[in-house]
Amino acid sequence: MAAARRLKRVAASQPGFLTLKSSVNPADLVSGRRKRVNKNKKKSWNKHSDINDVEEFLEDVRHQERTTGGLLSEKTDDSLFFLDVGQPKKAEQTEAEEPVDGGKRKGKGSRPLRIDLILQHDSLVPPAKDVLAYQQPNAKKLRRIAQKAEQLAAKGVVPRRQRQLLSRRPVDRTVKKAATEANNNPDRGYYDIWGQESKDSADPWYLQQTGKKQVKRPEKLLQKPSVLPAVEVIAPGGSYNPDFFSHQALLQEAHDVEVKKQKQEDRIERQLAVNKEDKATEETVLREQVEGLVEEEDEEEEQEGASNDNEEEVVVGAIALAEKKTERQRKKEKAEKIKEQRRQADRKQTDQQQQLFQLRSIKASIKQQEQKTKTNQIKRKAKQEAEKSQPRRLGKLKFQPQDLEVQLSNELAGSLRQLKPEGSILKDRFKSLQKRNLIEPRDRAKFKRRLKVKYVEKRAFKEIA
Amino acid sequence: MGGLQKKKYERGSATNYITRNRARKKLMLSLPDFRRLCILKGIYPHEPKHKKKVNKGSTAPRTFYLLKDIRFLLHEPIVGKFREYKIFVRKLKKAYGKTEWSTVERLRENKPTYKLDHIIKERYPSFIDALRDIDDALCMCFLFSTFARTGKCHVQTIQLCRRLTVEWMNYVIASRSLRKVFISIKGIYYQAEVMGQLITWLVPYQFSHDHPTDVDYRVMATFTEMYTTLLGFVNFRLYHSLNLLYPPKLDAKAQAELKEEDEDDYAMNSESYLEKLSALSASLARVVSSADEEEAELDQFPDEGEDVEKMEAREKEQKQQEAQRKMFHGLKFFLNREVPRESLAFVIRCFGGEVSWDKSICIGSTYDVTDETITHHIVDRPSIDKQYINRYYIQPQWVYDCVNAKILLPVEDYFIGVTLPPHLSPFVEEREGDYVPPEKLKIMALQRGETTANDQEEDNEEEEDEEEEEEEEDDDDNADEEEDDEEEAEEKNLKEMEEQRSQGKSLQVKVTPGKVKVENPARKEQEEKAEEKRLAIMMMKKKEKYLYDKIMFGKKRKIREANKLAAKRKAHDDAEKAQKKKKKSRK
Repeated sequence: MAAARRLKRVAASQPGFLTLKSSVNPADLVSGRRKRVNKNKKKSWNKHSDINDVEEFLEDVRHQERTTGGLLSEKTDDSLFFLDVGQPKKAEQTEAEEPVDGGKRKGKGSRPLRIDLILQHDSLVPPAKDVLAYQQPNAKKLRRIAQKAEQLAAKGVVPRRQRQLLSRRPVDRTVKKAATEANNNPDRGYYDIWGQESKDSADPWYLQQTGKKQVKRPEKLLQKPSVLPAVEVIAPGGSYNPDFFSHQALLQEAHDVEVKKQKQEDRIERQLAVNKEDKATEETVLREQVEGLVEEEDEEEEQEGASNDNEEEVVVGAIALAEKKTERQRKKEKAEKIKEQRRQADRKQTDQQQQLFQLRSIKASIKQQEQKTKTNQIKRKAKQEAEKSQPRRLGKLKFQPQDLEVQLSNELAGSLRQLKPEGSILKDRFKSLQKRNLIEPRDRAKFKRRLKVKYVEKRAFKEIA
Repeated sequence: MGGLQKKKYERGSATNYITRNRARKKLMLSLPDFRRLCILKGIYPHEPKHKKKVNKGSTAPRTFYLLKDIRFLLHEPIVGKFREYKIFVRKLKKAYGKTEWSTVERLRENKPTYKLDHIIKERYPSFIDALRDIDDALCMCFLFSTFARTGKCHVQTIQLCRRLTVEWMNYVIASRSLRKVFISIKGIYYQAEVMGQLITWLVPYQFSHDHPTDVDYRVMATFTEMYTTLLGFVNFRLYHSLNLLYPPKLDAKAQAELKEEDEDDYAMNSESYLEKLSALSASLARVVSSADEEEAELDQFPDEGEDVEKMEAREKEQKQQEAQRKMFHGLKFFLNREVPRESLAFVIRCFGGEVSWDKSICIGSTYDVTDETITHHIVDRPSIDKQYINRYYIQPQWVYDCVNAKILLPVEDYFIGVTLPPHLSPFVEEREGDYVPPEKLKIMALQRGETTANDQEEDNEEEEDEEEEEEEEDDDDNADEEEDDEEEAEEKNLKEMEEQRSQGKSLQVKVTPGKVKVENPARKEQEEKAEEKRLAIMMMKKKEKYLYDKIMFGKKRKIREANKLAAKRKAHDDAEKAQKKKKKSRK
């Protein structure tokens, strides 16, 4: 059925199709025809009844209400029309003046923003009242209850609930103090800890057995782990208004540190750098590609030569036959050996005898040796002494000294007011503790995820990508 | 060669050390707790001499502790508290998870806490021990007291640190024991002498915190926990040594002086007292209210005859020190709003000055700008509109430099808008022959009581400066010249004689009337001494001579270096002067 109707509509929209009324378009024409539809069902009724005219009318009414605040037909003529007597002269004048005295500025101040204009309520129909906002649920009941309470109050009767509340015991709302004060309580008290003698009046045996006796602190713990002072005062060049030379000296020191660092970095870079000869050049690449494809005659020749040499060597290196020694030879060897031994023994004896005359030089040499050991001892001691002030290796990481606090000449403030503090004291204290071997240098613990993260593309994301 | 084979790593250093992890397991503590315990008890890791032996053949870097130390830790009652705390946290978490609020409240009330008093007593058996270790405590407390209350550490800790540092500063003021101040780019270094101990501490500038990320706050907080306890006990003892009330109370008289009107503007009632104390402008109440019995004369025991001179010298020194302590006595300071109030108030009050500030800056101001009796107005801006005639307007550095020089320096160099002389570090002690900057020389001259003509001239004009330089040069050369003159005269005589000898081969024998040689006894003595010294050097053994030469060489080198620096400085100054002149001429 629908297909048939469409066919008709299509036919009507053809250029050669003549309509009955000139103003009526083909769509109207289609609807104007009598239709054979049952309108006994709500669905079909809705479908086939044409309500456009009503809708249009209502829309028109709404539009009038919105824009003019009522129906135009009900308005008086005065409110709709005015007498046109041409343009007023004053308006011209003002227009001429405006650009002269910076009308822009004037307008800017008074004109509202565009965004505000857009958001403004532009219909003249007042917004609907929210009825529920003025209604109170159970208003009647509540009113009755209030009236009753008033009556009771006038009589002097206290309602039961209030009576119960009043009779309740007041709860002790004061905050209970903890059994022992926290250690960082700002109002904590102190006492003379060194003045009073320990009150170990009880039996020492009892104390020891019950584990209440304080264990003596090992003597060694009274020594400090480093000889460095707790507070190292910055060099005189670190003054906020330093003397020229001390400032230069400090800068030099900082510079030296920086140069040293740079050198180390450079060295590592150099070690890591790729050797130029190791890089592939075009030539080597080509050779590699051609490897084994082109036969080189020279090489073969060389190889042949080499094989010849090898053969000769093999001939030379044949097993040498060991001939047996004769009896005579053996005897001779033995005699020679004995002779040699005797000669050496003699030599030794004479040497010892000679040493008697060399006593002085021996003494000198001994002295020299002793001197040497002494100097070594002193050196070692000095080194140990110097090491005492050095941070020790206490863990995985080495102690890294803090960067020197330095202000360049142009950063220096002229007065105390303009001074910009350099470095952080917190870090300074922390490094000082490390330097004095009180704590081991440590890295910040890295965050480790216990469970794996699984990445999933969401569908919304997939559609875009 | 019988006997069993000795097993490796069962004796010697291998058994004296224990690795950190094993120690932690032995104490049944988590690593943070173990670390905290070690810090509180003062047990530090130790680097063994033979690492490989201790580490049972491995060379992996590990942290080692001495086994005896760890055994000692086993007896610590705080270990138990740590375990209790762990359980407390677990229970609390559970209660939160189950939203059992009453349980949470109950648990909160019974939160396990611990005290560090016994540890302090154990670590510092005597008061002096504690005082020797107070530097660290002071630095840490001053540092933490300037932290913002933003949750980097407990607010309570910050409050406690503030309280303790204020107490300390008040003690230093009351005992007049400040010695040196140094304003560095890092912070302000102070040095005080308390009971014969030199104590140095570093105070950060206000509002200068960026929180570095590579600092372990937990460790620092633990140190602070220990140090606050220590500092509290030390403060108590120090206050009592001066007969001051310990939770410090303001003097009744001083309290009346403080303006009461606008108290509420600054702090809540609970905090206002601490704020007033921290203003540092009022003196403290004493247990025995004594007005002027401070200056009790030291008892003298002149029975040991030979020490009389020493005693006198000491007495003199003491008097001098006393005078230094009252350097600002009778001076009235007023701090403008741009100067660091706390530091200046602290320093001025330490030397007996009176100080006040605008009442809108801080609580505790005692007089207004309009007060006619103000002698010094401390300003740190290029110019000021309304000036009073009867007071000096000076820059803050004057106060610090006076403290370091131990005398009242002339104010002219520190007026408003004047380029300040350099602020020298008082912590540098020059030895003989070292280079001393000219500013310090000037101060030293002033200390000796010489009001050198140079200073006055310097104020005038540059023309005179040149003259002055010549004078200085003259001074240096004078001594040399005298010697030279005499030597030259002698040489002349000898030359004449020789000439005569060469000319006529026989000397002209002639009797001339003798001249009385004027002998200068002092000079003669000097010569004799020099001669003796020369002879002594000659008689030295080879070894000693070598050493002597070495020492002398070192001294000379030092002097040479110092001279070089001085010359450099002069060149620098000259260059600056020339520039100034140029500028002037251009104008």
